[in-house]
Amino acid sequence: MTAQTSEKPAPAEQLAVLTRPRGSSGEGKAREPGDLDPLRFLRLKRRDKIVIQVALVALTLWWIFPMWTAISSSVSFGGIGNYLSLLTQPVNGVYLPETFVNSAVIALMQAVLVCAVAALAGFAFSRLQFRFRETLYYAVLICLAVPGTAIIVPVYYISGTLGLFDSYWGVALPEAALTLPFGVLLIRNFADSLQASSFEAAKVDGANSWQTFVHIFLPQMRSPLINLAILCVMWSFQDFLFPSLLLRNPALTTASQAVQTIQGAFGATPQQSSEYFASLVLLSVPAVLLVTFGLRWVSRGLTGGGSKE
Amino acid sequence: MTNKSVLSAGRVNPSGEGSPAPASSGRRRRTINTGWTAAAFLLPLLAFYAVYYVYSFVFLGQVSQQRVGLSFVDQIQVGFQNYQLVLTDPIFQRSIINNLIFAAVSIAASLTLGFFIAMMLATGARLNRAMYVIFLLPSLIPLSLFASVFGRMLQDQGGAFNQALQTIGLGALQQDWLASDGTAYAAVFVLLVYLIGLPIMYYRSDVSSVDVAILEASLLDGASTFQIFRLILFPLLRTTHLTVILSVLLGSFRAFDLIFFSTLGAPSGRTGISGTYIYQSALAQDGVGYAAAASVIVLIVALIVSLVQIIVTRRSNR
Repeated sequence: MTAQTSEKPAPAEQLAVLTRPRGSSGEGKAREPGDLDPLRFLRLKRRDKIVIQVALVALTLWWIFPMWTAISSSVSFGGIGNYLSLLTQPVNGVYLPETFVNSAVIALMQAVLVCAVAALAGFAFSRLQFRFRETLYYAVLICLAVPGTAIIVPVYYISGTLGLFDSYWGVALPEAALTLPFGVLLIRNFADSLQASSFEAAKVDGANSWQTFVHIFLPQMRSPLINLAILCVMWSFQDFLFPSLLLRNPALTTASQAVQTIQGAFGATPQQSSEYFASLVLLSVPAVLLVTFGLRWVSRGLTGGGSKE
Repeated sequence: MTNKSVLSAGRVNPSGEGSPAPASSGRRRRTINTGWTAAAFLLPLLAFYAVYYVYSFVFLGQVSQQRVGLSFVDQIQVGFQNYQLVLTDPIFQRSIINNLIFAAVSIAASLTLGFFIAMMLATGARLNRAMYVIFLLPSLIPLSLFASVFGRMLQDQGGAFNQALQTIGLGALQQDWLASDGTAYAAVFVLLVYLIGLPIMYYRSDVSSVDVAILEASLLDGASTFQIFRLILFPLLRTTHLTVILSVLLGSFRAFDLIFFSTLGAPSGRTGISGTYIYQSALAQDGVGYAAAASVIVLIVALIVSLVQIIVTRRSNR
């Protein structure tokens, strides 16, 4: 997973969030960029429309093929009973429902860490003047490029030294460290687009920086912080590397780590193969739900995140 | 404090260039004061960076000159021998080249197929929202899951691809896809095509900022829909292309699960990438120093790419 930058001005819906009265910029009103498509206002030729529809359906079927394979193979032998046994019996010592809890706890910890730290840092980078501000900012941003695999050796050592093996925090901390460059980028870009007037008013009223942060900054940052939190949860669900490196206790296994743990439990017989696919399908359920229902937030966070950079 | 200084403190800085406070003494004192305030706000971030980046890099530098296992005891100093070994290992060279090849394939697929999918979705075709979610799902669910399913589909015996070939009457093409270089690469390329969800998202988002009048004018001039895609929208979205290219390039160094769960480098490490290389060498007997040396080299390459990204995006902002 990576963050990106894009160069166009802030999309209209970001500005819309800013100009809406406070309190109404709630999560329910987020819109996908597609809502404003200029292409939709064109009267296309009938023939072109049909070609587009056919091409899209064909491509969608191609995209569905692996997912369909997984689902249909999962019930081809043993039927729905495969799922029931996965929900009640451990596989290689791992209860699959338990992995959802583990994943969720780590994801929430990581989201809280990233949002808190990025909000504080974003305020400093956007609203405070200090020496070497931009130099420091770019030093923070350049770590966007650091791949998780490149720091597994030091992370393993650090976690051992700090006694962080087999603990939720032990996984959430390095995950947060890898997500922070993007978090700071997203928060600062959004904060730079805020109007200065409310901050001026706070200064005139004699508010100190902390009061300004709590009472002026944070309420306006609700929307990007929710974006960031959802992205953090999604990325944490995706992470296989750090759980597999730092969690040895089967009771702490996360959902994406379980993909590896359970591999050995299923042989090559059709029945076992079906059970394996069933476990993969089951493990993907939370992520699929999150993506389907949180997509507008994921999309806004990723595409608006670099709008000013 | 004057109104003016508040304004300048809170002003948006679109070019991203910070100007240190001017040299007047009053201003300087204020800068120092806010400097301490800023330090307080930045403290948690700096703590994270100190441990997980700065200390990590220093630690990597030290360990990369040792022969040592995961217990980190009884290390033997070996100088730059590890670097020499890593750089001359054909599998490592191959893994870096694979990173770049896979990134190139992703970029090619994104700029063609990804672009057209996004444009077609943007015309408001039926079910376009549902289809949008389906195109994004493989990229947004855990890669370990999608790659595992894909890896199983490639299996020699009873794999879905071989079965599908049988069904459509091309049974003669059935084979062990991971046995030879050519088909193993082809399999990874197909997997990469499934993972162009984020570029689709960028295009879909950015096309909404295009001025509808330009499109209407070309439609009146008699352009077909596909001419509009190719001749009008493709050049208009050039900053999006740049975003896609740079983000895919950077992402390719992070794509570890992709290979780990699909081909695991088969045949014999030849489709491996830098991530799987480091992971596997770290787990080998006394391989930690060696893995650290490989990490340092990968970090240097990735940071150069990132530096280029920052310079390019800053320049295109001007």
